[in-house]
Amino acid sequence: MAQPETTPSPAAAFDTSADIAAPVAPSKDSPLEQNTSQASQKASFRDVMSCFLSTFVTIFLAEIGDKTQIATLLMSAQSHKPLTVFIGAATALIATSLVGVLLGRWLSKVLTPRTLERVTGVILAVVSVLLFIDVAGA
Amino acid sequence: MDWNLLGLSFITVFLAELGDKSQLAAIALSGNAKSAKAVFFGSVTALILASLIGVLIGEGTAQILPTRLTKLLAAIGFAGMAVKLLFFGGEAEEEEEAA
Repeated sequence: MAQPETTPSPAAAFDTSADIAAPVAPSKDSPLEQNTSQASQKASFRDVMSCFLSTFVTIFLAEIGDKTQIATLLMSAQSHKPLTVFIGAATALIATSLVGVLLGRWLSKVLTPRTLERVTGVILAVVSVLLFIDVAGA
Repeated sequence: MDWNLLGLSFITVFLAELGDKSQLAAIALSGNAKSAKAVFFGSVTALILASLIGVLIGEGTAQILPTRLTKLLAAIGFAGMAVKLLFFGGEAEEEEEAA
């Protein structure tokens, strides 16, 4: 009486294996998906590059001759170990950038887009005023 | 490796940069940008390159890149971005103009 119950189980096992082997159909969709993702990647790549370059240029220009640069220069001159000072400074700069970017991300989630634009506009205006003060005082 | 010196330089620079212009700029730019990663890498590359130049050339940076001029250019750049965001509504406005 127990035998008829046990016999279907191999068949069931075959069924499941067939199910597992079945997903061949989605591969037809994948070229399309690749095409669309490539197209969006191209558009976003331009965005990413413009983001990267504008950030790089503005921050680089702002930081040349800034107090951080002077501090690293003094420390490396004093210790005669420029590499150690550079590694320490670089790690610190990565950390502060990360903190800044994470704060920015968080702000963008919390605020509405219009408010975010106003807030970032004000922050950038403050940054530019600080730089103008530096220029006037230098 | 001189760990004391490493720690000292890390702490000095970290404290100097907290709330500094470049960090404020990173906050502002990443909040509005399409890609926060791009802003992060742009910021890090710029800062590290600036430090590297500082360590390598020392006082000579002032002769190669006049500090006041670079700061003035940066100030104008940031002011331009600020004006665009505050008075022209950034992204949404651009899309409307394009349409």
